[in-house]
Amino acid sequence: MISALLIACWAGICAIDDIGTQILRRPLLIAPVVGLIMGDLQTSLYIGATLEVMWMGIGNVGAYSAPDIISGTAIGTALGIASGGAATAVALAVPTSLLAQQLLILYRSTITYLNPIADKIAESRDFSKVFRINYIPMLIAFLVRAVPTFLAVYFGAGAINTAVEALPDAIMDGLSVAGAIIPSVGIGLLMLMMIKKGELWMFLVAGFTLAVYLDLDVLPITLIALPIAFIYDLAVKQAPQSSEQSTTMDSSDEEEEYDL
Amino acid sequence: MSTEEMKITKHDLNRVFWRMQLLNVTNNFQSLQAIGFLSSFVPVLERLYEDQPKELKTKAMKRHLEFFNSHVNSDALILGIAAAIEETTDEEEKQTVTDVKTGLMGPLAGIGDSILKFTWLPICGSIGASLALNGSILGPIVMFLLYNVVNVSIKYYGIHLGYTKGMEMIEGTGGNILQRLSNIANIVGLMVVGALIASVVDVNVVAEISAGDNVIEFQEMFDQVMPGLFSLLITFAVYKILKKTNGKHAPLLILAIMVLSILLTALGVLGE
Repeated sequence: MISALLIACWAGICAIDDIGTQILRRPLLIAPVVGLIMGDLQTSLYIGATLEVMWMGIGNVGAYSAPDIISGTAIGTALGIASGGAATAVALAVPTSLLAQQLLILYRSTITYLNPIADKIAESRDFSKVFRINYIPMLIAFLVRAVPTFLAVYFGAGAINTAVEALPDAIMDGLSVAGAIIPSVGIGLLMLMMIKKGELWMFLVAGFTLAVYLDLDVLPITLIALPIAFIYDLAVKQAPQSSEQSTTMDSSDEEEEYDL
Repeated sequence: MSTEEMKITKHDLNRVFWRMQLLNVTNNFQSLQAIGFLSSFVPVLERLYEDQPKELKTKAMKRHLEFFNSHVNSDALILGIAAAIEETTDEEEKQTVTDVKTGLMGPLAGIGDSILKFTWLPICGSIGASLALNGSILGPIVMFLLYNVVNVSIKYYGIHLGYTKGMEMIEGTGGNILQRLSNIANIVGLMVVGALIASVVDVNVVAEISAGDNVIEFQEMFDQVMPGLFSLLITFAVYKILKKTNGKHAPLLILAIMVLSILLTALGVLGE
């Protein structure tokens, strides 16, 4: 009961952070706190890392609301630890995020009522009132994340536990295997945003090769990538503007060629 | 703009910085970041409209309640630039402020996305994740610190830089500096993503064919061609599917991968 309340509060705090400062909102930062509350830090680290990569390319782009990684991570981690499996956590995080996404869309639609309020404040000619408008949505955001999280963690743990024990081993094994493949979706989403020209494929393959053959970590690869990127930028800059534009226009054809 | 004429103080800009931490709170489907922009921008307006008639205060507030949307970190630069323009324009030229804001919000959102969301966050996330996978609590801590040193300083210096030399930075000589930064971030990001595929996507084929005495293990065979080849192929396939559907059905794809993995594991093709 107390841990469910604490986790719900943590989800609520992260919710405020997600719409505000954006310092805590990632799975890798959310999961360990849930783990501490539940008394199993090790499992939560593993779950957090898996979810982090899985949701890597997910984010609000423009007016599109992404699946809600915060309640997904909080609920998934809590129930995953309760039922003793990282695979369960990943399996639960997806549907939870999807359900919570609907709540968030509702939230962002609801707070359009702030616009007339803001207009009224503008009429009042009082600058100092403007900032207060932030408090109401913060409260709503907190509740929108905290209440479902509490309900799911408090009432869900028993049900999930029974369900997991009833599941055949084959399904649990399959879910573990899936856990290692699913990050490809997060990465695929990132690639979708990043590969704007066909020629950019070679940098992806170069990074892959450095990691596979030289067994390098992310940090050294970043440092190697910096000078390469700098040289590429110089080379692109040298080219006259017109040729750059034609490359962009051809990009769809080129990408087909470079694929696979 | 000479220094002695500047009305807006460092302190005002710092107040904008603190207020912009909540800039996105009021983000809604109608005006997106508009209310947040105004609520962050108030210290500037307070300074500039101290002794102005009340109608002008209302006009100023209404002006910044118009539709606005950019990337949270790019907002800092735009807030700074808008402050500079507010200060240097007369009342009848105020349309410039809105024009500059709307002109900058799109491109700067793109640059903010490509540097922060698609390059720096994945780098921090994967450094943190690889530490965490080894069971180290340093993972989340390192990720938090790495990400926020950049996140917070872009916001802080963005406002100040935007105010002092924003426009020359964007239009300045020396080529389009921000565009080039975003190009460089793009390449670095892609190499990191390539490395990520190798380190986090893990496909293990356990199927084997026995031909007489010889047992052909697929995994071993493909590893000789290139280690991690399956990871690369799977990611390409996922990318292709996402591309066809414009990235809209990622959660569905995740569920599909779960179902397929369960099936293939049960059939003995895949394993841990």
